[in-house]
Amino acid sequence: MEQLKVKAQEIKARLKARFNALRDIWQYSDSQPTEITLAAALVILYPIATFLELGYSPIMQLLAPIAGLYQLYCVSGKCLSCRVKASWVTFSFYLLAAVMYLYCGLLFKGPSYWGWILLSVSSFGSLKRIKKEELHRKNG
Amino acid sequence: MDNSTQVILAVVTLLGSAGIWRYAEARLKVKAEQKKEEQSASDTVLYRDDLKSRVEEMDAALKEANKELLALTEKVAKLETENSFLRREIDILKRN
Repeated sequence: MEQLKVKAQEIKARLKARFNALRDIWQYSDSQPTEITLAAALVILYPIATFLELGYSPIMQLLAPIAGLYQLYCVSGKCLSCRVKASWVTFSFYLLAAVMYLYCGLLFKGPSYWGWILLSVSSFGSLKRIKKEELHRKNG
Repeated sequence: MDNSTQVILAVVTLLGSAGIWRYAEARLKVKAEQKKEEQSASDTVLYRDDLKSRVEEMDAALKEANKELLALTEKVAKLETENSFLRREIDILKRN
């Protein structure tokens, strides 16, 4: 019984360490690849998906690709403050998609639609990481 | 979905995302400030700063010592030359 308890504690400690490592990676790793993926999805997939599922919406289908291109421009320019702004715009567009799907009653129609929530969370995480990097560089 | 609904939803979402981001940004700034204060007060940082100033002092002292050594070497060379001339003159005087 005692041995089982010790083993359970060991497993718990190991899992906790892994969870902390994942959290650290999520919070502090380089976010450029994520930014590029999110921006590319905003340029290519976002207008197509929203047009096919929600219908014509100039705000989403015309402005979102511009926002995606702006994000790509900022990542390639290696400018942190520009990346923060662009990431906020990207996050806003993904959040807008989630809200639009929710409004149209599609968000909880099937699990594949939850991807908009995932993209919102991912873009917000990316935004936080860049801001942290900016603050870290300012504080030295 | 009509255009006015789209615009209203877009404005509401924009304001919402701006609000969320302002809150998150403020929290990040507070945390960063706290971390900075903790770091500046820690023994390791104080010790590192002390070491840095000592290294700078020692570097300055080393440069000064190098200059003095160069001046001394110059003087020794002069004295050696003078000494050899004086010995030669002493030898000449002894012979006479």
